[in-house]
Amino acid sequence: MSDTMTTTMTETIATEGVTDALNAAAVERVSLGEPEWLRERRAEAWAVYERTPMPTTKLEEWRYTDLRTKLDLDGLRLSESETAPDDPAAWPARLRETMEADHEASGHIVCIDSHVVHTDIDASLAEQGVILDSLHDALESHPELVQEHLGAVVPAEDGKFEALNAALWNDGIFLYVPANVKLDLPIRVTRWLSEPGTAYFSRVLIVADRHSQVSYVDEVVSDDFADPSFKSSAVEVVARDGAVVQYVTLQRVGRGTFVQSAQRTLAERDARIDTLNVGLGASVHRVDLNARLLGPGANSEMLGLYFGDGSQHFDFNTSQDHIEPNTGSDLLYKGALDGKSRAVFRGVIRVHPGAQRTDAYQTNRNLLLSPGARADSLPNLEIEADDVKCSHGATVGELDSEAKFYLMSRGLSRTQAERLVVLGFLGEVLSRLPLGGVVEKVVGVIEEKLSQHG
Amino acid sequence: MSDAPVLRVEGLEARVAEEDLPILRGVDLAIGKGEIHAIMGPNGSGKSTLAKVIAGHPGYEATSGSVAFKGENLLELEPDERSQAGVFLAFQYPVEIPGVSIANFLRTAVQAHLPEGEELDIFDFTDMLTERMEMLEMDPAFAERHVNDGFSGGEKKRNEILQMAVLKPKLAVMDETDSGLDIDALKIVASGVNKLAEEDPEMSVLLITHYQRLLDYIKPDFVHVMVDGRIVRSGGPEVALELEAEGYKTFEEAGAAS
Ligand SMILES: Nc1ncnc2c1ncn2[C@@H]1O[C@H](COP(=O)(O)OP(=O)(O)O)[C@@H](O)[C@H]1O
Ligand SMILES: [Mg+2]
Repeated sequence: MSDTMTTTMTETIATEGVTDALNAAAVERVSLGEPEWLRERRAEAWAVYERTPMPTTKLEEWRYTDLRTKLDLDGLRLSESETAPDDPAAWPARLRETMEADHEASGHIVCIDSHVVHTDIDASLAEQGVILDSLHDALESHPELVQEHLGAVVPAEDGKFEALNAALWNDGIFLYVPANVKLDLPIRVTRWLSEPGTAYFSRVLIVADRHSQVSYVDEVVSDDFADPSFKSSAVEVVARDGAVVQYVTLQRVGRGTFVQSAQRTLAERDARIDTLNVGLGASVHRVDLNARLLGPGANSEMLGLYFGDGSQHFDFNTSQDHIEPNTGSDLLYKGALDGKSRAVFRGVIRVHPGAQRTDAYQTNRNLLLSPGARADSLPNLEIEADDVKCSHGATVGELDSEAKFYLMSRGLSRTQAERLVVLGFLGEVLSRLPLGGVVEKVVGVIEEKLSQHG
Repeated sequence: MSDAPVLRVEGLEARVAEEDLPILRGVDLAIGKGEIHAIMGPNGSGKSTLAKVIAGHPGYEATSGSVAFKGENLLELEPDERSQAGVFLAFQYPVEIPGVSIANFLRTAVQAHLPEGEELDIFDFTDMLTERMEMLEMDPAFAERHVNDGFSGGEKKRNEILQMAVLKPKLAVMDETDSGLDIDALKIVASGVNKLAEEDPEMSVLLITHYQRLLDYIKPDFVHVMVDGRIVRSGGPEVALELEAEGYKTFEEAGAAS
């Protein structure tokens, strides 16, 4: 970790130890001590939540993920932990191991349950005006910056979960990179969840000012939970003219948790926002990702990688909005599915009227490793301009038996052959965004999963 | 020649697994240590099936007869065990493995050939790979490419020879390694095989080919003609010349009559 360390202890906002259900009173409690505008926002968001019906499988976007059987919000409580240790020595071993496996970073944030317990940022970057902080602290130290963007990118009105998150978010992360500042090393966020039966709500707000450059890696880890839990996040990424942002999430939570993430990226003129969503853990993992290419020359590479086994369920709902001319987006989501796991990919490329010379691609490929696994892929195009290059494709295939024989004929065991084919297949995604530490971690988890493949 | 054959195939009958489709209808073949044999025959006569049965392709089933490699019953071994025992098949149609570099693949393969518990030294491996590629006049950058992914026909065949050079088999079955190659590529591939045969005079080779052309560059000790799932004629290199002069027709008739 870097030399300047500002350790944050978030005071708990909930009142002493009550068991909270998700209700208006909880919204009140979570907004205690917050600025008036934010309290109003939360109240409005709660109203949106209450009047928005829970999505059902009748909606195209939720066709394959039945929330009635997968998520019982009424059975959840809010995080009860009032504080979490800021002393690394007191952190759970798995959290520490996760961090030790990381490569160098420009800065770190560590979250335990709903608390940001540690923040550090390279001193020279801090001097140049880079801000890496918990949202609560940033609300006090940089109120205008936060107020300008928070909830503006992923507003409550977007949907049931976005509203719930906007009403109940407990803490979050704020990253601001001033104009022309370039970070050589990524910001690394590590989260640990410890309370079974809990609903977590957090937000991430990243603002990269003109011609700045930053990579952000957000990893969440937990053990398996016997009681169903829920982790909700809203991710807002803004890249101003010419800025370059890499946003990576690594989802490695244990079974028993429903992970839901609503993400939107706004790329302005000549900006580039690349995203990578890696889904390895959880019982259910749902991502709604919308990339908006708002200025000429804006670009976005959208990568996804998942490996399911057991009865894991992944649902990726993506959209690529080309709003101005001369913008590009390239989406590649690849997954391997073992056991009775299942993946749904639904993606749409929207070329808005006037967005001429758009280059937009979308590919989803699935590898089924067992007869009980299933993948559904629903690519879509909505094109309202005529001078565009767009393509979409989806495949669902099985492990190639000829490839397996070929490798075995060179002496590789069946397991080694499968491992090589699967890693090669998924490796295409990682090779497009080869961030130090991420590749090794993902490969490590996949190898672990493959070793259990029957 | 007094040695027992390295490969002995006797009365081998084989069919496509789970289909009642006999392909090999009684093949007899014995290959001695260090010998180079060629099997020639028309398309569809069963040459590749023989090669795949020797290598252990799960899509084929031996229904009768035996295949012994250095006295061991090969048919009982898994494909990886056959490789570790020293059998190598250069595929007629090498398989693409996207995302897996040749170097990574070969490192795993060489490791798999080491005795239990022995760890491959990565530097030794890299040196060895470099040396093998130099021997075959290959660009070192080739090792970073993904196995057969987007390769030309010639590159795929050269990649087979590279794998053979790295794994140093005791028996190399080369299934139409010459097909699809122009004359320059054919010469490179043939010179690679000849170098390997020189390097290890005990290595036995079974060349499967459709054309005499390859045999101008790799001189076989014995030539067999396969027609309709059987070997209908065996002899010295002159058999290949006969074939070239007369075509497969007379052999096909002989096969039908037998
Ligand atoms: N997997 C298979 N399924 C169906 N037919 C097959 C299969 N493999 C080989 N055959 C048939 O068996 C015969 C011999 O094939 P093969 O061994 O590839 O011949 P060759 O290599 O001599 O051209 C051909 O008629 C071919 O169509
Ligand atoms: Mg053939």
